[in-house]
Amino acid sequence: MAITTGSRAASRTRRPLTLDSIVRGALVGLFVVLMVVFILGPLLWLGVRAFAGNWTFPNLLPDDWTLRWWQVVVNDGALGVAVQNSLFFAPLTVLVSAIICLPAAYAFARFDFPGRRFFLISLFATNAFPKMGLFVTLAALFYALNLMNSVLGILVVHVLGTVVFMTWIPAAAFAAVPRNLEEAARDAGASKLRVFASVTLPMALPGIIVAAVMSFLASFDEAQGTYLVGAPAFMTMPTQMYSLVLNYPTQVAAVFSILLAIPSVALMLVAHKHILGGQLAEGFQIK
Amino acid sequence: MTTTLQKPAELQQTVPPAGATRPKRLGQRAVGFFMALPPILLIALFVGFPIVLAFGFSIGLTGGLNHTIATIGQNVHEADAWWGTLAAYQEMFTNKRFLGDLLVTVIVTLVSTATVIFLALGIGLYLKLKGGRMARLLSGLAIVPLFIPVVIASWAILTFYSGTGFLRSVFALFGLDFPVWAFTMVTVIIGSVWTSLPFSVLMISSGLQSVPNAMIEAARDAGAGSLRTIVSVIVPMAAVPIIIATTFTAIGIIGSFTVPYFTGPNSPNMLGVDMSNYFSAFNQPQQSAVMAFTVFLIASGIAALYVWANFRSAKEQGKV
Repeated sequence: MAITTGSRAASRTRRPLTLDSIVRGALVGLFVVLMVVFILGPLLWLGVRAFAGNWTFPNLLPDDWTLRWWQVVVNDGALGVAVQNSLFFAPLTVLVSAIICLPAAYAFARFDFPGRRFFLISLFATNAFPKMGLFVTLAALFYALNLMNSVLGILVVHVLGTVVFMTWIPAAAFAAVPRNLEEAARDAGASKLRVFASVTLPMALPGIIVAAVMSFLASFDEAQGTYLVGAPAFMTMPTQMYSLVLNYPTQVAAVFSILLAIPSVALMLVAHKHILGGQLAEGFQIK
Repeated sequence: MTTTLQKPAELQQTVPPAGATRPKRLGQRAVGFFMALPPILLIALFVGFPIVLAFGFSIGLTGGLNHTIATIGQNVHEADAWWGTLAAYQEMFTNKRFLGDLLVTVIVTLVSTATVIFLALGIGLYLKLKGGRMARLLSGLAIVPLFIPVVIASWAILTFYSGTGFLRSVFALFGLDFPVWAFTMVTVIIGSVWTSLPFSVLMISSGLQSVPNAMIEAARDAGAGSLRTIVSVIVPMAAVPIIIATTFTAIGIIGSFTVPYFTGPNSPNMLGVDMSNYFSAFNQPQQSAVMAFTVFLIASGIAALYVWANFRSAKEQGKV
C-alpha cells in the first residue's frame, strides 16, 4: 500500500503542471468544499444555536452567547423522562435482538438447512416494506392485542428495526471465520463449546459489535414507529423532538439535539473502524 | 448455461468432509433450522401477519382482529361482497390530494436516489482510482450522517436552509437574495440525500475496492480511456453492491417519514407523512392502509431487483 502510493506521488511530481490538471484540481477542490458545506454546514449551524442568545438575521454568528438553554433542558421534567425512556429501550432492544438473532446468524453461516435462502431473504421483508406503511399495518394488530401504548409494543417495533443488522452482519462475520482454524482447535482436543468461545466468537466479534452498535442506534433513533405506537404515553428522545420543535424555542431543540447525538457519535467512534472496514457492507450481500 | 457449468463446483462445496455421516448431517440440518427460526417467527408474526391483516382491512374485511381498528376508525368502507370491496381504493385513487402526494413521493424518490448513487459512485471511484488524503477525507465526510439521528439531521437541515438560515445569511451579506428552501420539496430531497449517503458510499466503495487492480490495468493497457474503463470494466464488476445500494436507498426514501415531516410543505408531501396524518390526525386508518399498500406495491418492485441481484451474484459464485 505504502509503496504504491509512494510511486504514484513520485509520478505526479514528475508530470508538468498543465492547465488541464489545474482545472481538474480546482474542480475537485470545489466539490470537496461543497460537500463540507452540504454535510457539516447544517450540523455546525445547529450546534452554534445551542449557545446563542440573540441572533440578528444576516450575521453569521450570534450577537451574544449563553448557557441558559442547557439549564432549560436540564430542568424540564418531560425531557428528562424522554432521556430515561430512550436509555431504557435502546439497551433492552439490543439484548432481546441479540438473543433472538445471534443463534440464527450462526446457523445461517455454519449450517445448510432446508429453506435457508428463503429465510435469509424473508428477513429482508423488514426492510423491503417502507417503515411507515409497516407501522400502519402493525397498528391494527396492536389494537387487537392491546399492545398500543405499551412497553412490549414499543419493544417489538424497536426489535423489528434491528433484525436485519443483528442477523446479516454477524452471519457474514461467522462465515468469515476459517473452518480449518476451528477444526485445528478440535483436533487439539478442545470441546465444541470451547472452540466456539475461544476461536469462533473472538474472530466474529467485530461483526457482532458493529451489529450491536447499529441496533442500539436504530433503537435510539427510532421515531416514526415509537410515535405511532407509543405517543403520548411513552415519549423517547426522538419522539420528544417532534413536539419540542413545535413548542419550544429553537435553541432548546438545538441543545436537545446535541444531547441526542452524543451516544450515537460515541458509539460510532468505537465501531467506525469495523464499519469502514467492510463489516456492514459484507453483511448486506446475501450468500 | 453458466449455471450448469458451475454445478460441479457447488457439489464439491457442500459435500461434507469424509468424517461426517448421514444421520449427523440430518441432525445438524435440524439444529440449523431451529436456530434460524426465532427471527423468522418474529417477522412472520409482526410483519407478515399484520400485512395480510391490514390488506383485509383495506378491502373492507372488518371482522376478527380488524374489529377494534374498524370500530375506532372513521369513514371505514365495509365489505359488500364475500371477497370485500374496493371502495377505499376507489376513494383514494380519485382523491386529488393522494394522487398529488403519490406523484411527489415518486419524484422525490427518483431524484434523491439518483443523486445519492451518483455521489457515492463518484466518491467510490475517486477513492479507487486516485486514492490519497483528499479521497479519504471525502469518503470520511460522506459517512458523517451515519453518526447523526435522522430527527436531528432533518431539523438541522431545515434551519440551515430556512429564511434565517446560513445560505440566505451568506447571500444577504453580499446583498443577494437566496430562495427559502425550507418547507419545500427541495429540502426534502436535500434531507433524503443527506441521510441516505453513508450507506451507499459504504456499499459502493467496498464493492469498487474489490475490483482487481489487474483488471483495470489490463483495460488501460488495451487502450481504454478512463471513462471507458469505468463504464465497461469497473462499474459492471461492482454491479451487485451498486444495485443493493440503489434498492435500499430507494426503499428507505419512498417510505420515509421524519425527513419530509420536518422539512416538507403541508401539502403536497410524501406519502409517509400523509399516511401518518390519515392514521392519527384524521383517524381514517383504512385510507392510511390503502396508501401503505400503494407504497408496498412500488417498493416490492424495487425489492425484487435486490433479490434478483443477490441471486445473480450467488450464481456467479456457483452457489445456486
